[in-house]
Amino acid sequence: MTAPTAARRRIPALPFGAGRAELQEYALVGVVALLLIAGAILEPDTFLTSDNMLNVLRQASIVGVVAIGMTFVIATAGIDLSVGSMVAAAGVLGGQFADSGSLMFVLGAFAMGVLLGGVNAAAIAYGRVVPFIATLAMFTMARGLALWISDKTPVSIFNLDFVRWFGTGEIVGIPSAIFVFLGVTAIGWMLLNRTRYGRYVVAVGGNREAARIAGVKVQRIIFSVYVLSGICCAIAAILLCGRLSSASPVAGNLLELDAIAAVVIGGTALSGGRATIVGTFLGVLTFALIFNLLTIMNLAVEIQQVTKGVIILVAVLIQRKQN
Amino acid sequence: MTAEAPPLLQVRGITKEYPGVRALGGVDFDVRAAEVHCLLGPNGAGKSTLIKCVSGVVAPTDGEILVDGEPLPTGEPSESLARGVATIYQELDLVADLTVAESIFLGHEPRRAGLLNRDHMRDRTKALLERLDHGDIPPDAHVRTLRPAAQQVVSIARALSHNARLLILDEPSAILDDHEIDTLFKVVRRLQEEGVGMIYISHRLDEISRIGNRVTVLVDGKTVVSGLPADTPPSELVLHMVGRRVEQLFPERAVPRKDEVVLEVRDLSRAPDVQPASFVVHAGEVLGIGGLVGAGRTELVRLIYGLEQPDTGEVLVDGRRLPRGRAAAAIAAGLGMAPEDRKSQGLLLDWDLTRNVSLADLGSYVRGVLINGRSERKAAAEQLRALNTKPDDPDRLARELSGGNQQKVVLARWLMRNCRVLIFDEPTRGVDVGAKQEIYRLISELAKTGIAVVMVSSETEELLGLSSRILVMREGAIVAELDGATTDEVELLSHAVAHTDTSPILEEAP
Repeated sequence: MTAPTAARRRIPALPFGAGRAELQEYALVGVVALLLIAGAILEPDTFLTSDNMLNVLRQASIVGVVAIGMTFVIATAGIDLSVGSMVAAAGVLGGQFADSGSLMFVLGAFAMGVLLGGVNAAAIAYGRVVPFIATLAMFTMARGLALWISDKTPVSIFNLDFVRWFGTGEIVGIPSAIFVFLGVTAIGWMLLNRTRYGRYVVAVGGNREAARIAGVKVQRIIFSVYVLSGICCAIAAILLCGRLSSASPVAGNLLELDAIAAVVIGGTALSGGRATIVGTFLGVLTFALIFNLLTIMNLAVEIQQVTKGVIILVAVLIQRKQN
Repeated sequence: MTAEAPPLLQVRGITKEYPGVRALGGVDFDVRAAEVHCLLGPNGAGKSTLIKCVSGVVAPTDGEILVDGEPLPTGEPSESLARGVATIYQELDLVADLTVAESIFLGHEPRRAGLLNRDHMRDRTKALLERLDHGDIPPDAHVRTLRPAAQQVVSIARALSHNARLLILDEPSAILDDHEIDTLFKVVRRLQEEGVGMIYISHRLDEISRIGNRVTVLVDGKTVVSGLPADTPPSELVLHMVGRRVEQLFPERAVPRKDEVVLEVRDLSRAPDVQPASFVVHAGEVLGIGGLVGAGRTELVRLIYGLEQPDTGEVLVDGRRLPRGRAAAAIAAGLGMAPEDRKSQGLLLDWDLTRNVSLADLGSYVRGVLINGRSERKAAAEQLRALNTKPDDPDRLARELSGGNQQKVVLARWLMRNCRVLIFDEPTRGVDVGAKQEIYRLISELAKTGIAVVMVSSETEELLGLSSRILVMREGAIVAELDGATTDEVELLSHAVAHTDTSPILEEAP
C-alpha cells in the first residue's frame, strides 16, 4: 500500500479506545483552532469571550442534534432529506397540546418524529425505495403536514416553561440546549463506537452483503436509523420551539442541508461504511463558528453562503484524496 | 511463414501477474484470417485474462501482441478496437433501454451537422443485421425486448460496425439454448466466409468440432496444447485439461461419522437456478459440490444459508428446521459461510482485522450494552495467530492482506463461534499454492472436529483431494453423487460438462 495509508494506520488510538482516528478529524480540529485564532485576531473584544462561545454552541445545538442522527443514516449509505420538515411537524404537533402542558408537548413531538421516521424507515427498508426518493417525499409530506395541522400559523407555547427552559434556560450559567447537544453527541458516540448496534450500522453501510452473510439483520438496521433520525428531529424540535417560544410550521427550513454538510465535512463517507461522531461534532462546530465570526464582522449573508460552500467542497476533496 | 501473410493475431509469451497470483505464465497463441480458434480450459485457467489482454482491458506484465504482424499497444481498449479487435463478453453489455440501432452505434453515432443522423444509423443497422442474416431484427426495437440470442447478434453487429476483423467470443453459448446455438453458429460461419478471424471460448466440448478449426488448451495460465485440429476427440481434450496431479497437496481425507447427520436438505429449489435438491451431510464430512460455473452451485448454498427465499423445500440442522430465507437464523443454528467473493461478500475491506473477525460473534464481547474492545481484540488476535495469518496484527486493514490470508480472516470469524456447518464457496479462488495447502489442511482439521463441511469448487483437483463425497451439478440439478476417494477427474468432468462425446448433438454435427 502507499505510504500515506501506512502513516495513517500508525496513528495511535484515541484515549478511552476510540479506535482508529481519522486524519480528517485531526484536520477539522485544526480548522476549528484556526477559526478561533482568526476570530481572536479579527474581533479581539467580542469573539473569544465565554458569552460568545456559549452562544456559538447554543446556536449549533439544533443542527447538531439533527446531524448526529444523520450520521447514523449516512453511515448505512443512506440519506435523510426530510429532517427539516420533520422538525417543523414534530414541533407543530407538540404545539397542538400546548394547553395540556409541557409533557404533552414533548410526547407529541416524539410521537410525530417516530411516526414520520418510521414511514421513511418502512419505505426504505421494506419497500426498497431509494433513500433519496423516500425522504424527498417525506420532505414535502412532513412540511405539508406541519402547515395543515397548524393551519399555517405558528402556535405560541409561551406558557410551557419546561419546553422554554430547553431553549432559553441555563445550568450553572451554561445554556441547557448545550447540555442536550453534548448529551446527544455522547450517546451517539457510545452507540456508534461501543455497541453492537453501532458496529452493525457501519457494517451495513460498508458492505451490505458481507454484513448479511455474517448474520446482521440488514433490513432491521436500516429501518432503525431512519427512526433514530426522526427521534433526533423531535429533540431538535423541542430545542427550537423552546428557543422561539412558539411552534412554527415553517421552522427548520434547509436544516437538512446544514446537517448533511456537517456530517460530510466531518468525514463520514456518503458511500457508507465510515462514520465519525467526533467528526460530525467538529463539522457542526466549524459551520457555527464561521457563521458567528462573519456575523460579528458584519459580513453579508451571501459571503457566508459562499464561504460555507467552499468549505464543503474542500472537505470533500480532502476526503477523496484520502481514499 | 515468410511467404504467406502474417497471422491476424499473434500472442507471444504473454504473462500477467496479479499480487500473489500468476494468471498467465507465457502464453503463445495465434489466429489466422477466416479461422475459428477455440480456447479451452478449466475455470481459472486464464482464458478471460488472455482475452482481456488482447482486447486491451488488461495490460500484460510481459510479452507482446501482434495484429497483422505489427505490435499492438497494450492496455488500451481503444487501440485494440481501432485495429479491428472486438470482444463479445459473456455477460452481454448492451444497454437494455436503448434501441437496437442506438446500441450498435453507441459511442460512434453517425452525425450530420453535429446532430444525430437517425435515418443513416437505421439504414446501416439494417445492412449490418442483414449481413448477419438477421434482417428480421427491427432496428427500432428496444434491446430489452430481444431474446438473448438476438441480443448477441446485436452485440456482434456492433463489433462489425467497428470494422472488426478479429472477434473474441467469450462463452457465447453459455446463455443460449440449443436452437439459439444453431443461430449463433450460422452467424459465426457467415463471418468466417467474410474472412473474420475468431477466438471462441467454450466449456462445451462438443461445440469445438462443430464450429472450430483449431483448438488450444489452457491450464493454470499455460498452454498445454496449442493449435490442435478441432476434430480432436473430446476425451483427449479432457485429458489435456486435467493434466498432471500435484502430489501431496492434500491432507488425509475426512472420514464422515455416518451415524450423525448434521445438515439435511430436502427438495430445496428456486427457479430457475436450482432444481429440487436433497442430500445430507454428516459430522466430520467434507461434501464437495462440483460442476461448471453457472451450474447453480453458489445459488444452492445461498439457499441453504437463507440468503435467498426458496420456492420449495427445507433445511434442517441437527434435526431442527430452519426458518426459510433467514440468514441470521441459519447462523444462530450453527451455519457459517466463506462466500465466493471475499472482497464483495466476505470482508469489510476498510475495517481492521479485529472487527472483521468479531462481526458474527459480537455478542460474546458485550458487557452490559457496551463492547469490550480489549477482549474483542485479544480474541481476534489469538484466532488469527492460530490460523497462521500473515500478518496477524489485528489492527491491520483487511484490504492489505493477500487472498489466502483474507480467506483465513473469514475463517477466523466462523471459528469464533461453535459452527456446526461451514460452507466454503470456492475456498481457494485467488489464493496462491502455498496458502492453498494451508487452507486445505484447515478444512480437513475442521471436519475432524465434527463440523460438517460443504465445499463448492471449480477446481476439480481440490474436490477430488478433499471431499468425502462429491455432488455434481449441471444446469441447476444435482446429476451425480460420486465417492471422493474412488472417482477421477474424467468421471467428474463428464458429469459436469453438458453434451459430452456421447451426446446426440455431436452425432448431428455436420
